[in-house]
Amino acid sequence: MSDQRVFTRHKAYEIRAELQQADNKRFKASAARQKNALKKIIANITMGYLNEMASLFPEILKFWSIDDDMEVKMACHQYALAMAPTKSSHFEEALKLIQDDFASSNERLRIMALNTLSSIPRPSYYSACQKCLESVLTRSSESADLKRAALHAILNMDQADKNSARPYVSFLSQIINEQRQFPSVRAHALSVLDALNESHKDLPPMSLSHDTCFNLLELLPELNEWDHTLILNGLTANYVPQTHSESHHLIEVVLPHLQHVNTSVSLAALKLILYLINYVDSIHESIVKRLSSSVVALLNKPSELQFLVLRNVILLLLGRDKPFLQIDVSYFFVEFNDPIYIKDTKLEILYLLAKEDNLRQILQELKDYATDIDIQMSRKAIRAIGNLAVKLENSVDDCINVLLDLLDFGVEYIIQEIISVFRNVMRKYPEQDSETIKRLVAFNDSVQEPESRSAMIWIITQFSRSLPNFLTLFRVFSDNFGEESLEVQFSVLNSSVKFFVRTRSSETEELCLKILKTAVDNADNPDLRERALMYWRLLSLVQQRADSNISLDDIVEIVDGELPLITLNTRLDPAVLEELELNIGSIASIYLKPIGQVFRLNRTMTLPQSPVLNRNRDSLEMIPDTRSSKSSASYSDPISTRSRAGSSPVKKMNDHDKPAETVNHLKMKRRTTIGSSKVTRKPSILSRRISIKRPFT
Amino acid sequence: MASCVYFCDLRGKCILSRRYRDDIPSSAIEKFPTLLVDAEQESAVVPPCLSHNGVYYSFIQHNDIYLVSMTRSMSINVAQSLAFLYRLVEVLTEYVKTVEEESIRDNFVIIYELLDEMMDYGIPQITETKMLKQYITQKSFKLIKSAKKSKNVVRPPSQLTQSVSWRPEGIVYKRNEAFLDVVESINMLISAQGQVLRSEILGKVKVKSRLSGMPDLKLGLNDKGIFTSGTDLADGTAPPTTKKSNIELEDLKFHQCVRLSKFENEKIITFIPPDGDFELMNYRLTTPIKPLIWCDVKIQVHSRSRIEIHCRAAAQIKKKSTANNVEITIPVPEDVDSPKFRYFHGSVKYLPEKNAIVWKIKTFPGGKEYSMAAQMGLPSVTDVDTPKSKRPVQVKFQIPYFTTSGIQVRYLKVNEPKLQYQSYPWVRYITQSGDDYTIRTT
Repeated sequence: MSDQRVFTRHKAYEIRAELQQADNKRFKASAARQKNALKKIIANITMGYLNEMASLFPEILKFWSIDDDMEVKMACHQYALAMAPTKSSHFEEALKLIQDDFASSNERLRIMALNTLSSIPRPSYYSACQKCLESVLTRSSESADLKRAALHAILNMDQADKNSARPYVSFLSQIINEQRQFPSVRAHALSVLDALNESHKDLPPMSLSHDTCFNLLELLPELNEWDHTLILNGLTANYVPQTHSESHHLIEVVLPHLQHVNTSVSLAALKLILYLINYVDSIHESIVKRLSSSVVALLNKPSELQFLVLRNVILLLLGRDKPFLQIDVSYFFVEFNDPIYIKDTKLEILYLLAKEDNLRQILQELKDYATDIDIQMSRKAIRAIGNLAVKLENSVDDCINVLLDLLDFGVEYIIQEIISVFRNVMRKYPEQDSETIKRLVAFNDSVQEPESRSAMIWIITQFSRSLPNFLTLFRVFSDNFGEESLEVQFSVLNSSVKFFVRTRSSETEELCLKILKTAVDNADNPDLRERALMYWRLLSLVQQRADSNISLDDIVEIVDGELPLITLNTRLDPAVLEELELNIGSIASIYLKPIGQVFRLNRTMTLPQSPVLNRNRDSLEMIPDTRSSKSSASYSDPISTRSRAGSSPVKKMNDHDKPAETVNHLKMKRRTTIGSSKVTRKPSILSRRISIKRPFT
Repeated sequence: MASCVYFCDLRGKCILSRRYRDDIPSSAIEKFPTLLVDAEQESAVVPPCLSHNGVYYSFIQHNDIYLVSMTRSMSINVAQSLAFLYRLVEVLTEYVKTVEEESIRDNFVIIYELLDEMMDYGIPQITETKMLKQYITQKSFKLIKSAKKSKNVVRPPSQLTQSVSWRPEGIVYKRNEAFLDVVESINMLISAQGQVLRSEILGKVKVKSRLSGMPDLKLGLNDKGIFTSGTDLADGTAPPTTKKSNIELEDLKFHQCVRLSKFENEKIITFIPPDGDFELMNYRLTTPIKPLIWCDVKIQVHSRSRIEIHCRAAAQIKKKSTANNVEITIPVPEDVDSPKFRYFHGSVKYLPEKNAIVWKIKTFPGGKEYSMAAQMGLPSVTDVDTPKSKRPVQVKFQIPYFTTSGIQVRYLKVNEPKLQYQSYPWVRYITQSGDDYTIRTT
């Protein structure tokens, strides 16, 4: 029977009949049919027909007791797990069977039994489970797999009942310190303890001693790569260095793990190092270089992992006034094949990295993206240029020139976006020359979207002095006041009042009155109506009553006063930042949101107190690369002390015609044949023999 | 630490699932397709991490399936989940050849078994295919009656708990060989003006080991750090290295079998290799390099009548070597017609489905320069609003017996303490274009 046939809906009685039928015939083929029936049950449960299958519990129990086949056992356990929410009365009978399974000598079966025991939320199961746990964890003869399963069972029980895991906390730390235990068991004990700590706020923070920490790190070579992550993760924020030299030493030990090919290991190592850096007085420049280059190397991973790394780069860039990473901007240039979410993140990084000295390069890139075929991308690039203009006061002219260049491109959505962006730029730098403004308002007719329309209105209003025909320009928007979107209506209303108080002519008065009247009489939106009324009363205060203590100047001040300066805030709250830095490589780092915001009950990670904790994160002293400093043996290795200055990838290529010299031509004698790649195989095996027979020295 | 792993089809419908923890309702996956669609509509940006109702979905896409891992906590190590999903795909590829919807459906039994072994309570366990193959075969296990001696009971090989978790004991080959492939991929981004915006070399050392027993391997490279550090540190004055052939590798990343601390302290690459194929190390170099295949593309668009393309390509490599399978893909606007080509080398084709013309040159000797011209008609009526396409020119090539960085394998010593056999290391070098060897067009 094919797998597809199993995944069809069955009635309970059909399967029951099938099972009984198979039971009657006492020959070999019946075993296969029974299994098939069991498969159908599991398949039906997977498809969600839980209630239908619940009635088969007695049959399952029967099988459980008589059959010793592993596949049958697996199905039975699976069934019991699936039935956990039904609170069936048969569970008490099953408990006995599960305990029997645990007592067997088959390890896989014992692991399965332990898992089932801990996952079914019934008091009798818990007490049985606790007994099993104790026997497994204390006896040294049990295998590592079983012990690991027992550790996970603790977490399983904790999930259902918050108090059940509490007694094990001291027991776990004992396991972590026990030398005789299997290395992987100790690693898992660490991660279980860490998880318990995270979910129970009232537990005292686990602080590992110096010896424990180094013992655990010594285990690393004996563990598989995933367990590396567990240890590196578990040490972060749980081990508190007490002296500077302690943390220096630890950083040294962890550094090599940045070179692990598994992304999770190297990110975990990065996290641990960044945590430890909070506990040192100075940091060697070569370490920073190594951190940076390991981050760059991670950018060559598949796109999802790359995305994660990029998000963490953002986090690191936000972290300090002087960013910790020294990465050339060109690594973040958007590539044609990048998925859109990577492009997006790279754009954000480019914005963050922009400084006076690399602005030219970045602007050129952004300008390229702005004319990209993808509309989203192009808009974001334009927005980034605008934000750069606001961020970097000295280079605003460069940014504006790029934006004006882009205007000439003439594509509609680009114009819309540029107009919207210019509002912020001009608000920050009001002293624009009239040429720029004239070029902008030339697109008066072509702006369509509400945001860019209201931006255009704002620009016209704000710079009406350099626009002789501002009223004509403004009429484009005010004539169809009723049909505009709300955002634009607000802008029109506001501007018409501004015009009126600024220059009191019959034209402006008429315009202002018309708009106010339409807004008060015809507008459906209460906010718009109220605001219009507010303006109306304000204006009439001056006009009608001579004795009122509000003068026209006051109104001008209110309506058309000085605008507060805008700044772009890219900083995160320091407490949030601290927590996020301790969560590098986690989901929180993707969203750049603290965990406490989502899960109130969880413990928020903070830097533990220690005499050597750096209060001010920017006060860290950077030791430049010299050989005189202490422990230069490992710091000054030639790989990390290479100078990047000479290797800036942006070089003008003038000598296309000359063959590349850096290309190293290798002798043909050592080539061999391996299937995978497409190099042509050498025809004669004999000749190969001759050339290769001599092993390398 | 993932709570569950799902395989979903392209629309996000669940094909197969394995739950490791009970903290996520099984209905959560039903939301996944809608989430995908919503995210796509919202901003056309679907990041590999979505959240809904306190459940976090992190996923990767492979062929026509999504692999989704879900979790409830924000503090979990998503790097681990994603890295695990990629490893899962790798392992499955070994078992079922191509991982796609159909093969997942056909092999669900074995995939369940693999998922069971590879992850335990959301923590990845054994992910080495060779080790998994030891005891996950297509057959199911028979349980031996407990009355019998427990010796023959099927259980994970004891090596799993030992220090070398990636290599089983007792491997025997008649002929002991180790094959090394040094593959370098060149990524380059060249602006339309011929300026190299970015260039990097991504190198890989792939090993295929066919060695008996538990051999201990020592690899010698002509890396500066590896070879000169000993003398450098001894006298402390750091004499500039005179050996020209030594090069500097950056960002070395090693397979888990390499002893990292030994490398850190003594700069020696030593390892006990897994059996069969694996990637020993990869590295990256950012030294500026000239474009190996230089390409100058001039595109002239005579609006509404025709488009002319002139392309000159030069192999800027030594005369003795040749580049193979050179492929230059030049984008052209949609709906061009009646292509005419003029060329003397290789072959040029217009691929309407890709909106590009492809110039293929089988062998391109070093120092030579070839050129090609194409002319195509443009439709006389065009949609005014379509913005100009900015697709880059892409170049692909392979240069055998050649590493751009100059890395060389000096030696590979094989030492098996018990068996003491003679072994044969084989080395091969190749340079090829990476994923991004592109020249921007104006």
